Amino acid sequence: MILVLAVIGALLVGAFLLVIAGANPIVAYRAMLVGPFSSRYGLTETLVKTTPLLLVALGIIIAFRSGILNIGAEGQMMIGALCGTAFALAFPNLHGAILLPATILVSFLGGAFWGGIPGWLKAKLNVNEILSTIMLNSIAWQLMIYFLRGPMIDPKERSYGTGVPQTQQLPHQVWLGRLLPRTRLHWGIIIAIGLAVLVYIFLWRTSLGYKMRAVGAQKEAARYAGMPVERLLVLAMALSGGFAGMAGMIEVLGIHHRLMDGISAGYGFSGIVAALFGQLHPLGAIPASFLFGALMLGADMMQRAVAIPAAIVFTIQGLVVLFVVGTDIFIRRPDFAQRLFRRRRPAARKEGA
Amino acid sequence: MKRWSWILIVVLLLTTVLTACGGKQEAQTEKIRLALILPSTIDDMAWSQSMYEGVMAVQKEMGEDKMEVAVSERLGNPVDAGAAIRQYADQGYNIIIAHGSQYQNVLEEIAPDYPDVSFAYGTGYEAHDNIFAYDPQAQEGAYLQGIIAGMMTKSNIIGVVGPVEAGDAIKYNYGFQQGVEAVNPDAEVRIAYTGSFGDIAKAAELAKAHMDAGADFLTGTAQQVVGAINAAKEHGGVYWLSNDMDQSSLAPETVISAQVYHWEKVVQQIIDAHQKGETGKHIVLSFANGALELKYNPQLESQIPQEVKDAVEQAKQQIIDGTLTVKLPEN
Amino acid sequence: MFAQLLHPDVIIGILATGVRLATPFLLAALGEMFAQRSGVYNLGVEGVMMMGAFSGFWVTLTTGSPWLGVLAALLIGAVMGLLMAFISVTLQAEQGISGIGLYMFGWGLAGFLFRLLVGYVTSVDGFHDIPLPGLSRIPVLGTVFFDHNWMVYFSYLLIPITWYILFKTTWGLKVRAVGVTPEAADTLGVSVARIRYTCVIIGSMLAGMAGAFLTLGHTNMYADNITAGRGFIAVALVYFGRWTPLGIAGGALLFSTVDALQLWIQVLGIDIPYEFPVMAPYVLTIIVLALVSGRIWQPAALGRPFDREG
Repeated sequence: MILVLAVIGALLVGAFLLVIAGANPIVAYRAMLVGPFSSRYGLTETLVKTTPLLLVALGIIIAFRSGILNIGAEGQMMIGALCGTAFALAFPNLHGAILLPATILVSFLGGAFWGGIPGWLKAKLNVNEILSTIMLNSIAWQLMIYFLRGPMIDPKERSYGTGVPQTQQLPHQVWLGRLLPRTRLHWGIIIAIGLAVLVYIFLWRTSLGYKMRAVGAQKEAARYAGMPVERLLVLAMALSGGFAGMAGMIEVLGIHHRLMDGISAGYGFSGIVAALFGQLHPLGAIPASFLFGALMLGADMMQRAVAIPAAIVFTIQGLVVLFVVGTDIFIRRPDFAQRLFRRRRPAARKEGA
Repeated sequence: MKRWSWILIVVLLLTTVLTACGGKQEAQTEKIRLALILPSTIDDMAWSQSMYEGVMAVQKEMGEDKMEVAVSERLGNPVDAGAAIRQYADQGYNIIIAHGSQYQNVLEEIAPDYPDVSFAYGTGYEAHDNIFAYDPQAQEGAYLQGIIAGMMTKSNIIGVVGPVEAGDAIKYNYGFQQGVEAVNPDAEVRIAYTGSFGDIAKAAELAKAHMDAGADFLTGTAQQVVGAINAAKEHGGVYWLSNDMDQSSLAPETVISAQVYHWEKVVQQIIDAHQKGETGKHIVLSFANGALELKYNPQLESQIPQEVKDAVEQAKQQIIDGTLTVKLPEN
Repeated sequence: MFAQLLHPDVIIGILATGVRLATPFLLAALGEMFAQRSGVYNLGVEGVMMMGAFSGFWVTLTTGSPWLGVLAALLIGAVMGLLMAFISVTLQAEQGISGIGLYMFGWGLAGFLFRLLVGYVTSVDGFHDIPLPGLSRIPVLGTVFFDHNWMVYFSYLLIPITWYILFKTTWGLKVRAVGVTPEAADTLGVSVARIRYTCVIIGSMLAGMAGAFLTLGHTNMYADNITAGRGFIAVALVYFGRWTPLGIAGGALLFSTVDALQLWIQVLGIDIPYEFPVMAPYVLTIIVLALVSGRIWQPAALGRPFDREG
């Protein structure tokens, strides 16, 4: 209930902005809230966005549960997709039943490598992971561009001289099938949900998962208990990066069918939000990713419905994040509200500044 | 988990309430409904703005009752662009222009689902049944601007502020180099890239480095260049050759000439073709068909020696009648 | 080709560029240092910078005074800091996510307001370089350090100032205590919440100023996404500098000098794929930190909300 109030609160502040922009907030919000749920287009596009969000979120959850905040998913997506695409293009004649899983596996390994770097740097050399992942995001982007306009560019782009940085199309047998005709909904969503269940089993039903959570909960205690804390940290980051890498590859396999610039589309960051909205629980991440996907799509649809500057989309998403995360305390500790008013903190009045 | 069900319930409730109170949209058949997908914004003073103004010019010409325009900005990544294009197609827009080479892939995927809709993208060359590909020959104007820079430079150093080495930037830079080379083999064209399309601070810094290194003519592409133009203006004593659209309003004392794309001609062509039910084609913007234009900044025109103008005019005629072909990178 | 790089003029050019480019990082990172020292990490610096960049630009455009512009950026920064502090301190929210929320909110709002209030590319008359009398005449050093605008000087002055505040004043001691053992600080009568609010707000004000530097002291214009990830780099530099002003300054200068160097490498036409120079500052920052790493210390309560009643 509080969560709903939070979302409504965010939308009210957003409505204020809409009015300033000269748009009718009722029409706008109708498009935003109804759009993603009311049509075949809306629902499928929401699920299209859910897929990478969920995969990234799963990686974030593994890292977070092990005590690391991975903000490098953006770069891990790119490297994963880059490796997977290179692999699929290198073996165009393999049968789909082999090539598809192998491609996804390679993308997982690529992402795991890129995620493992900050993990290793942290474990061995004490390099803070926030620093290294921010830097590695930029590096990954430049690397990807280098390969896309250089060694891996579509030969057609080269022969015609247009030089658009994209690879040629992947062999058809690795394309993920569409679930519904005339939509972009593809098998990726099923894969993602299946993996969410697997991650849940891994973290809560295996001893390795238990150890990783132990490191996240009480690092020193885990060390005293004889767990290889450093190795577990590297592993957690590698797994986290691997999921992001798969997210990138599945976007390529399901939607674009070739690697091009911009496929990570900010999922690396929104996936963190989805993970935290889902209580850092693999199964909770499923509805959280769906709703966050709906919010992203709905805000875009709203912008198109009432023709307002696109920047407002980001603003309203930010507001929702702030309100939801801000009110989380009232859910965690039901007595918090009373205490807040009893103690009468002066700053408590400054909501939504 | 429990609170998610709460949210879902409320969202669904809101959905029904809002659906109930919303009006219905009247569909009009005669009106052309055009949707424009832009990678940047309508006020970026470059690629996106030039197309936006082209579409607006056509709309003004046809009248708002005959043509409806919807614009979606900041759709640089193909994921969100795909969602937008699909939505417009679903809503019955007749013509959807996705203004960037990166949208080719998205259109190829969506277009077969909507055979009655005409799609267009560019820079590109691959037209299909209902996909138009427009293709500005950026290298042609670049060549002419290369002549201006090559003949007028005193330091023999010319700086290029590039975004990412791809697509139009390659075509433009390649043509520019040939133009300089043709009139002044001693001049050095120094091409550098910021690695980003929109980082105006980096572009400004790159322009400053070029100027400190002795460049007295600068050029560049993408929306980032506004930063470089302003840096050139503040530095003084250098000229800027602008591309995409006439950017002289930013720095009337610095921007000496501009290669202007007449998008309105492209848009008009697409609309005409759509109304006649023609299939998609490859639309070239060139000097020969008048869709490209080299504009001198009237305030600075007097500073361009007549022989330079003559050389430019001569090369332009040669490009138009085909005796001169500005090459594109081959490998 | 590389010989050209060793030409004195080029070296001076590179260093002067590096010093100027380091300014927004210094401002934002030294501010963020206070926030983190008190136990709050604010990933939203990028969003605050965007708002600072826009408000500084817009106020300057309408009033003609860049000083009012900087003032506006500081105020907006303070308001955004208050918002961040309210959410992460009073409401004890997970800081990583509230920072990302703040980033999205500020980043979007700046773009939105720009369209609404300005809506076209234009430039303003920002701050001009003030060569420091005497000092700017010193060969090499003069051009490198003493021929900039006041915001550049101010950001370098901040290094000793913040060091003094943090390590030599009682308030600085309290900040450090709150960031390490808020429980102990609380029993000693220090208001954890008040310290954290102050630190987050100071940090945010400096981030706003960093944004204003981009529009008023560097490019003199505003465009979509002018910060281009600099806010995130600033956060990273706090970790690089191990929460000390000198370390942060070293990181900022390293990063931006390498950035300046790579621009010059390209400008001088040295033939390597441009992506590699562009990524050089990022790679080098990681490598240097990896090389100098030893026993790591960090504010023990960083990221941990404090609740008096447990």
